[in-house]
Amino acid sequence: MIFDVGRVCVKIAGRDAGRKCVIVENHGNFVTIDGNVRKKKVNIKHLEPLTKMLDVSGGAKKAFEKEGWAVWKHKARKAAERPKRLKKKSVKPVKKAPKLEVPKSVEEAVAKVEDKAPEVKESEKPAEEPKTEEKPAEAKELEKPADAPKEESKVEEKPEFPKAEDSFTKETKEPESEPSENQKIY
Amino acid sequence: MPRGMFKSGRFRKIFVKVPGGNTKVHFRNRKPSKALCGSCKKPLLGVPRELPSKMANMAKSKKKPARPYGGNLCSACTRSILKQKAREVAQ
Repeated sequence: MIFDVGRVCVKIAGRDAGRKCVIVENHGNFVTIDGNVRKKKVNIKHLEPLTKMLDVSGGAKKAFEKEGWAVWKHKARKAAERPKRLKKKSVKPVKKAPKLEVPKSVEEAVAKVEDKAPEVKESEKPAEEPKTEEKPAEAKELEKPADAPKEESKVEEKPEFPKAEDSFTKETKEPESEPSENQKIY
Repeated sequence: MPRGMFKSGRFRKIFVKVPGGNTKVHFRNRKPSKALCGSCKKPLLGVPRELPSKMANMAKSKKKPARPYGGNLCSACTRSILKQKAREVAQ
């Protein structure tokens, strides 16, 4: 048979077309190939057999290396890392409390109330004071004599104005300052 | 009246129905011709017929077949050429 195990072929279809391969298994119209191609099952119509035969008991790729032919080396691609989707944190916007617009008429009313408020307090204070003044007049009179002498003594303690003579004397008694150099010249 | 460049036949006409209900003529670039096999001149399969602006944004695997001579020769011609080369090597 042409397509026996170990037969060297050239692939003439697909993306491996033009590369050498060797038959590893035979499945009738389909054969498994290996060598300088991807190891796969192909139709015999996609192969062009050559006259050369190889011993593939030790492996097709090793037999190719012994012949000095190129061997297909599968280079695994490194899958790029997929970008992770970050969930956006939903931040609830803080609603600022709207400022209540107070009409001018209300402000004026509040101002009036504030102005009246101290008047009310003043009216209350005098109401308390009369309680103290309600004491009988006789009791006051009785208390006054005890305080009377004190008042008199206070009056006596008041300092008298210095006499004019004393002030004059004091001024005269003070020694005169030494005359300046200009004065000496005159 | 259309401009002179639109009367030469370089652009293709497209009749567009505008929102107002009228039909208006638009002019667009013509698509390039189909790709043909270099040896047998048959149209190539697997080669899209699009404007260069669209081809530029297309993937490499969608523009032409991945086999040798893909996009230049048809599969039959490629096979015959590869067979000839293989038989030359065998002899």
